[in-house]
Amino acid sequence: MSVWLQITDTAGAVLVFLGAAICLLGVVGMLKLPDVLSRSHAATKPQTLGLLLVLAGVALRLRGGMDFATLALIGFFQLMTSPVASHLVARSAYRTGQIERGELLFDDLDAQLTEPGQEAGKRPEPDSGPERD
Amino acid sequence: MSVPETVDRVLISAAVVLVVVAGALLLFRISRGPSMLDRAIGLDVFAAVMIAGLGAKSAFARDSFYFPIMLVLAFLGFTGSVGIARFIAVRDKPLSRRGPRRKEERK
Repeated sequence: MSVWLQITDTAGAVLVFLGAAICLLGVVGMLKLPDVLSRSHAATKPQTLGLLLVLAGVALRLRGGMDFATLALIGFFQLMTSPVASHLVARSAYRTGQIERGELLFDDLDAQLTEPGQEAGKRPEPDSGPERD
Repeated sequence: MSVPETVDRVLISAAVVLVVVAGALLLFRISRGPSMLDRAIGLDVFAAVMIAGLGAKSAFARDSFYFPIMLVLAFLGFTGSVGIARFIAVRDKPLSRRGPRRKEERK
């Protein structure tokens, strides 16, 4: 086995290890963070960066055209589908009022949700105005 | 077995250990998550962790046998959390911090 193939193998193993470490870091963030939105922020790290590093490492170790195509497809589908789930979960968290509105610095969705209905009673939290600084 | 191969095997074994620990911690979060949305996010991450574990196994054994399973997990793993997030109701909240909140469905 030539030297360059050996270097490629070791680089692939290092990438796989880094991806697994980022997965563990994201999961630790999911355990420690307090809110649904914060956890969804921590959840994106294993889904995108960790998984792409692992897939790059596998591609470096297998070195086949078909394998590379399949791994690229896996990464592509993961990148396409995980924002959909995150968006729906965050939207549902907002609409069911499971977020701490007092801790938000900006709430652009607030005006967009209340403006077209023109019903003040529909605001899920009427007292959120004075809480904001 | 040469030294670099041993280094590779040790690195990938450590990666598998990290992925397994991550999965265990994530199961803890899923079982304990205060609301269903936390569990939905946890399940979504769990699919990614499963793909990473299968990738580490494929990198260890240099086979592409599990690639279709990884592909299916990559584009069907999000359906569970989408279903939970889409059909969640307001009464599914774990414990309300400010009393029961009336929120009628917006069409």
